[in-house]
Amino acid sequence: MPLFREAGIVEDPWQKLDDAAPVPADGLVLVSFTRWREARAALLARRGPVGVALANTDPVEMLASDVSRLDLIVLHFPKFSDGRAYSQARLVRGRMGYGSELRATGNVLQDQLPFMLRCGFDSFESDQMGFGEALKRARTLFSVVYQPAEDGRATASLLRLRRRTVHYTSST
Amino acid sequence: MPDTHFYRYDDYDRTLVAERVEQFRDQVRRRLSGELTEEQFKPLRLTNGLYLQLHAYMLRIAIPYGTLSSRQLRKLADIARKYDRGYGHFTTRQNLQLNWIKLEEAPDALAALAEVDMHAMQTSGNVIRNVTADHYAGAAIDEIEDPRIWCEIVRQWSTLHPEFSFLPRKFKIAVTGSPNDRAAVRVHDIGLRLWRNEAGEVGFEVIVGGGLGRTPMIGKTLREFLPKDELLAYLEATLRVYNRYGRRDNIYKARIKILVHEIGAEKMREEVEAEYAEMKGGALRLPAETIEAIAGQFAPPALPHRPAVVGAVEALKLEDRDFALWLKSNVSPHRLAGYRIVTASLKPAGAPPGDASSVQMEGVADIADAYSQGEIRVSHEQNLVLPHVAVEDLPVVWRALGRLGFAEANVGKITDIIACPGLDYCALANARSIPVAQSISNHFASLARQHDIGDLKIKISGCINACGHHHVGHIGILGVDKNGVELYQISLGGDVDFGKTALGTILGPAVAADKVVEAVDALVGTYLDQRGEGERFVDTYRRIGAQPFKDRVYAAV
Amino acid sequence: MAKNLSGDLTIASANRLTDGVVVFLDDAGEWTKRLDRAAIARDKRAGEILLERARAEGFGVIDPFLVAVSEDDDGVIEPISLREKIRASGLTFDAIAADAVRYA
Repeated sequence: MPLFREAGIVEDPWQKLDDAAPVPADGLVLVSFTRWREARAALLARRGPVGVALANTDPVEMLASDVSRLDLIVLHFPKFSDGRAYSQARLVRGRMGYGSELRATGNVLQDQLPFMLRCGFDSFESDQMGFGEALKRARTLFSVVYQPAEDGRATASLLRLRRRTVHYTSST
Repeated sequence: MPDTHFYRYDDYDRTLVAERVEQFRDQVRRRLSGELTEEQFKPLRLTNGLYLQLHAYMLRIAIPYGTLSSRQLRKLADIARKYDRGYGHFTTRQNLQLNWIKLEEAPDALAALAEVDMHAMQTSGNVIRNVTADHYAGAAIDEIEDPRIWCEIVRQWSTLHPEFSFLPRKFKIAVTGSPNDRAAVRVHDIGLRLWRNEAGEVGFEVIVGGGLGRTPMIGKTLREFLPKDELLAYLEATLRVYNRYGRRDNIYKARIKILVHEIGAEKMREEVEAEYAEMKGGALRLPAETIEAIAGQFAPPALPHRPAVVGAVEALKLEDRDFALWLKSNVSPHRLAGYRIVTASLKPAGAPPGDASSVQMEGVADIADAYSQGEIRVSHEQNLVLPHVAVEDLPVVWRALGRLGFAEANVGKITDIIACPGLDYCALANARSIPVAQSISNHFASLARQHDIGDLKIKISGCINACGHHHVGHIGILGVDKNGVELYQISLGGDVDFGKTALGTILGPAVAADKVVEAVDALVGTYLDQRGEGERFVDTYRRIGAQPFKDRVYAAV
Repeated sequence: MAKNLSGDLTIASANRLTDGVVVFLDDAGEWTKRLDRAAIARDKRAGEILLERARAEGFGVIDPFLVAVSEDDDGVIEPISLREKIRASGLTFDAIAADAVRYA
């Protein structure tokens, strides 16, 4: 399935490891959450980058102490209408301070991109036609946001406060 | 054009609504071209207010905290005329429904709404819906603080919330600013009750997991007292717990009330408080300035002093019995002695409850301009309210409403029926509700009789989803389908008034459509025979129990 | 007099995508507002075929489905269920007229 970042379509350098398969010594390896929990020490000890793919019911909090050592977290949308991964994403990006690639997989469609981007996703696996084009435009759809999220955008509320302050200072 | 006394959109609000319309316009285009399937498109159109009914798309327009300017009401009339069949229905959640909208015209209708700072965002779908308040907010005598301030703050926070746009199910929040809860906060997913603690601080009681529908439940208190500036953090914590752990395997078990029921209120509180502990004091804390900037926009109009007692009004009251009855039932006290709150009854005898034509809407807008500071409210009982009418102006307002057919003196009385659209409109219904309402309304049309019967709330739902709130009617009527025949189950003793929340109990076997009026007659007859001094219907029921009512109903039908 | 109430007779119906209007599949495989032009399937197998055809003609309508109908001696069909009767014929009461100053 094609993998997209905002700049465009990209090759996926990650190797998805079967739960039963042996962990390769090097290379980019993506494991399931189950495998991560079993083999965490071994995975972190090896040379190559590690990524973890979670089900949307997995307790993402369990990654908290390791986020700085992960290079990829993959979250899942079994149906586009199942919104659990949005909460996982915000916890990972926000509270846990994860700074590397956060990927959306599953039923990933362009109309959900504004929400996904705000929650901190930065790569997307989708086979929807026109997805790449839509991703390029997705940040421009809404120039105003009301609530703080993990995209660092200033909310209308904050901008209003700033505007009022400017108004005060410029009139004295 | 009078200045509004509620939240005024600024450029940020307008931009967001306009951008949403453009996004939807493109989504409609892609649906019509076949690029989007119905499954992919459905949540997109639902969260823009478009809900497919039996005969056409229905557009549910948000009326935040049930408050409208006359300019907005005129625009609604215009949109109903241009894009629909010249009428609309005011709902129990203070929205307006237009029943005959075309998908291909919907973006234009939404653009027209945007011209007057209105929208249909999130009025349907598995998202946070229109936040409702008390329809007397800002005008009521017993108010601690105007709940609409908080409705607006929550409205903004919940609009296009990136984390909560695909919840397990719909999410409804209500706010009351008064100890007499007119917003039914205990039967909402989250209810917020403003109150003043012993230290004199005003904060929120947060109630979670109430609801009607298939499994009616009364909400549990999650937090006794929450400081106002932490409201959004607490809501975000609660919604996050719901989003993560609410059931998604069965749409009938997906509301937060089921989660609370299954894990228990104690566990729910633990989860929410744990999440809240991380969020509190953070980016969601509301600076005092932000609260004040919004609160200031709801400051009540500076109403000129008007006399509390007016000779002409007193005289008319003595001369004209209809006017006297109207004063009793449709006119309520205002915080200022020289004013009253007037309810325009959208329940004329025999009419579909809660409907208004474009001409009628414009008529109400004109009356509001001349006599109510240009402001109108939508009640939870499918009526309209003029919140600031001077006592001196009561006769002229009465006559003007009368010309529109909206001056029937029946507010709170037996013909002030709440009915869902029912099987005439709705694909979910099992039975019709509007014709039942019409037949009851015609049967009890006599005003003298209605006033003798006194306060009696009949609520009719066409199916178990309970959009007519039958669970909380003094008389509740639920339409059911048995082998293709419409039958009506009657319940007694429900209530959502005066801080009381009670669910009605079923009287007995369901009755045929053509027996409903007789059944209601028997109920009323039992009450009239047995009532004690000052007892309303529901009081007598509580005192004597169901048996006398049951006996008489089943003897009659 | 209506007969054939067993549900053997079916027609295909849907809501039109552009405007939500109730439509029925006719013999030519097109969607019509007219109930009397609906193609009738006279047994279960014919019904399955009719539904497949309706789905194949699904562009422009939403979620086609089968509706059980009865047929009288003159060949006039009517849906059996109340819901479908209302879908086919409209509101069962008088809505307020556009531009009406009062309801009645």
